[in-house]
Amino acid sequence: MRHFLALPFLVYLLIFFYIPFLIVLLYSFGFPSFTLKYYSEILDHLTLKVFINSLILASITTALCLFLAYPVSYYIALKAGKWKNFLLILVILPFWISFLLRTYAIMTLLTPLGLMFTFPAVVIGMVYDYLPFMILPLYASLERLSRSQIDASYVLGAKPYETFMRVTLPLSKPGIIAGIILVFIPALGEFVVPAMLGGTYATIGTITWDLFLRYHNWWKGSALSVVYMAIVLFAITVYIKRSGRIEL
Amino acid sequence: MIRFFVFLIFLFLYIPIAYVVASSFMDGGEITGKWFAKLFEDPIVIRSFYNSLSLAVLSTLFSVILGTLAAYAFLRTNLRFESLFYTPIVIPEITEALSLLLFYKLLSFPLGFYSVLLGHIAFNIAFVFVIVKARLSTQLRSVEEASLTLGANEIQTFLRVTIPMAMPGIVAGSLIAFTLSWDNFVKTVFTTGPGFQTLPLLIWSQAARGIVSPSLNALTTLMLLISFILAYLYARISIRRE
Repeated sequence: MRHFLALPFLVYLLIFFYIPFLIVLLYSFGFPSFTLKYYSEILDHLTLKVFINSLILASITTALCLFLAYPVSYYIALKAGKWKNFLLILVILPFWISFLLRTYAIMTLLTPLGLMFTFPAVVIGMVYDYLPFMILPLYASLERLSRSQIDASYVLGAKPYETFMRVTLPLSKPGIIAGIILVFIPALGEFVVPAMLGGTYATIGTITWDLFLRYHNWWKGSALSVVYMAIVLFAITVYIKRSGRIEL
Repeated sequence: MIRFFVFLIFLFLYIPIAYVVASSFMDGGEITGKWFAKLFEDPIVIRSFYNSLSLAVLSTLFSVILGTLAAYAFLRTNLRFESLFYTPIVIPEITEALSLLLFYKLLSFPLGFYSVLLGHIAFNIAFVFVIVKARLSTQLRSVEEASLTLGANEIQTFLRVTIPMAMPGIVAGSLIAFTLSWDNFVKTVFTTGPGFQTLPLLIWSQAARGIVSPSLNALTTLMLLISFILAYLYARISIRRE
């Protein structure tokens, strides 16, 4: 009997989430007819360039976030002492503010600096928006690593550098992978940041916007999003295989 | 060394926000509240505010009911395939947004308040489901069984035992759902039609053209304030839970 309590939820998701995805799939094959032409259009060199642009941007963003976030997470998890909770709140607070507002906030600073509509501006904006998404999973995995494991390494004669490379870093690997996935996937399709700060820097996100909202080319837009979704699903599957589950 | 680096990172995260807030109170070199006064006189701002608020309230209401029932059903029965319930959280928002747009176009569903609302709910129920489920899974089934043994029927037990015990999760889920709807941009912009505007769309319409203005700063400050209040309420509830 109680099964049925989940029914409204599942029916709702079916209608407003799963069926729309099937429709995108249909359109990508040229609905109401059938053709592969929109997939081949995606491979033309202009769209290919967009994919490369997005890959470059997402990779730089992920790498910078990882590099900047690791010391922060390490400090909060192992060194912050009584400041720990306060610093954690500062990391979590941005999650409550939408990308639109945060991107606008960084825009007010980039404008007087004369950086607007440049590639560095996009990178700064991306790192600014995505950094908390890297800090939090890294923190979670470093927090689980107990101080005694590090102390044991020191007692056994390892130097700080060795301890970091051979104890701390390997043990925080789940957090690193989670952080990379949490940043890289949405960064790849990010629309708000390049659109607001990048001027003409085209990414999967901005081209999706153009295809759907400006040119109303549902078919090519759908094919593009199917390819993007395939990349996303591939990354998520790899992640689940490695970590056993998705941590939310 | 590391402490200084961490300090710089937090400066990087908070200086832009502080700058927006500070400049929304400045005119030349003087402190003023006139940008806010102007906002409250602008009929477009008032109307968008009202739109954003009704969206957030209604989508929260519906998603809390659907999400809570589903979380309860999932935990207390042998339902499986949990990932089917929370996929909307994992999928990039822009993909979800454009698929809804196509769905509406195919059905010739009029774009406006209702199309946006239905889309927001689809996203929010998954979050409510995850949060309420986490809360319900820590509470003891034996309490529900005690209630049944003592003669309450299933409906009474659900309303007077299960729901009160799940309440912190339900409130937390509502706050998240409200926040997600309140400042949602991507999904709203794809599923809205002419004439229906929310506060994020209003900010976008100017910011996308590279415009930084004092009144936009004031509007952003107001929205930040509301986000901070919601975050604060959420923290209060989660801390009491522990």
